[in-house]
Amino acid sequence: MRIRLYGRLADAIAPEIDLAADGWTVGEVRLRLAADHAAAAHSLARSRALIADRVVDDGQPVDESDELEFLPPVSGG
Amino acid sequence: MSVVALLEPDALDPQLELAELTESARGDGAIVTFVGLARPESREGNAVDAVVLDHHPTLTRQSLEDIAVACAERFDVSHVRVVHRCGTVPASEPIVFAGASSIHRRAAFDAADYLMDRLKTDAVFWKREVGDDGAQWIEPTEADLADRDRWG
Repeated sequence: MRIRLYGRLADAIAPEIDLAADGWTVGEVRLRLAADHAAAAHSLARSRALIADRVVDDGQPVDESDELEFLPPVSGG
Repeated sequence: MSVVALLEPDALDPQLELAELTESARGDGAIVTFVGLARPESREGNAVDAVVLDHHPTLTRQSLEDIAVACAERFDVSHVRVVHRCGTVPASEPIVFAGASSIHRRAAFDAADYLMDRLKTDAVFWKREVGDDGAQWIEPTEADLADRDRWG
């Protein structure tokens, strides 16, 4: 599945990555990314997960057709 | 009543935005505006050459619209105008214009205050200061969050 990352997560990992995560939950994807990218673990823990522009919780199952996004805390102005 | 919320990839001209708002505000008695600038110095005192604002392809524009609409619904204002930069903003150049017009001044003051408190914490941007020391990601401070929470 395609995973899109923003802000400091894009900086620490990549703007987008592909991960074989069919049948995983959002939380499992989050943990896997944190394990693979220790420098991003704190930001990942504080990020909202979205599928199709909607916030999903960590129990949400994902499949290969999903595009999962992780959004760290935002700041405008 | 009008609500304008724009994502601006190029230079933001506050005079032009004020002129647009003033043109809309015929019949009102007050306009209050706020212009945010890219700070030339970080909180740690380091020189900043530019502020870079990353954005989301759909959610950023939607967040600006949501904040502007919520403002128009909350206060007794006639017009709300929000224009927010994305991309690279050189130090001391405008990042954001937030303005409102109303029949009486208090509503316009409150609306501009509300817009900025919401934009600081809820607008979907990821902001970093870039200077000789590299890049530093900026997130809302406790004070920013407290300012937003004033509005319930």
